[in-house]
Amino acid sequence: MKDIKRYSPVEFKVTPLKIETRDHWDVVMEYHNEGDGPWLVDLSHRTRLDLQTGNLDAKKPFGITIPATPGQSVLENGLLINRMNGIQSSIYHLAGDAIEMPGETEYTEITEASVFLAIMGESVFAICEKLSALDFMDKNRETPFLYQGPFSHVPCQIVTLSREAEKSGVVLTCSRGYAKVMVDAILHAGEEFGLKPAGEKRVTDWISSL
Amino acid sequence: MALTITCPICGKRNGYEFRYGGEEKGPRPDEKDLTPESWCDYVHMNKCVAGVQQEWWFHRDGCGSWFTIFRDTTTNLEKETPEAKE
Repeated sequence: MKDIKRYSPVEFKVTPLKIETRDHWDVVMEYHNEGDGPWLVDLSHRTRLDLQTGNLDAKKPFGITIPATPGQSVLENGLLINRMNGIQSSIYHLAGDAIEMPGETEYTEITEASVFLAIMGESVFAICEKLSALDFMDKNRETPFLYQGPFSHVPCQIVTLSREAEKSGVVLTCSRGYAKVMVDAILHAGEEFGLKPAGEKRVTDWISSL
Repeated sequence: MALTITCPICGKRNGYEFRYGGEEKGPRPDEKDLTPESWCDYVHMNKCVAGVQQEWWFHRDGCGSWFTIFRDTTTNLEKETPEAKE
């Protein structure tokens, strides 16, 4: 029997240096000439779940307490959990070993339905400012925090993970069909800041430093 | 004047993120004794208030919530209450 293959909707026009095959995805760990940052990383192979239930406060996905207020997020053990509204949370698996899909029907895996990107580096907010009117540096909010709004005119979920100098960075998801134009728009906006595609290793290192 | 709308989930945002959902017309009429004329009135007829009215909005580019706000149609400014004055 032929093995299945999972494809990321994102394709960077740069040469990969190291590729790892994981759960039927070809994951680029490092690209040629990544530079010194900022970086754009494709994380579309990383598992994403949607949790929807009328009893959200009683749920503890993977043993993590869901934030009480919509717009708040929590990052624990490589898992990012974002409170979207009274009944919904999104869960992003950012780092660490593969997670097991919970058995309850409230969980829906949405990995293949969306594109997942990370933008990291000191000038990340200058790049984001060119693409969205949302304030990703809002000092009144504690990181990590979630925005549900337009980024490059596309409805997205955007999470500011850190705004500490070189650790600054956001992750964002939107519908899979926008992948190519979203990547083109971000790379174009980041050109003047030296934004370059990078492999997953940059994100793994970044997440462990937070 | 640019319209801003306060979403109950996301807070104050640019009006372009939202889709207008029409005037708030109260609960759907009881189907008992409902005539085609009264149903047509409920669905299609609007008050078109020149002043503060309660209306539905959908956060299309954001959280996807439906909610009502009060807006002064003469100034295009959101109001906290229906009686709010400049």
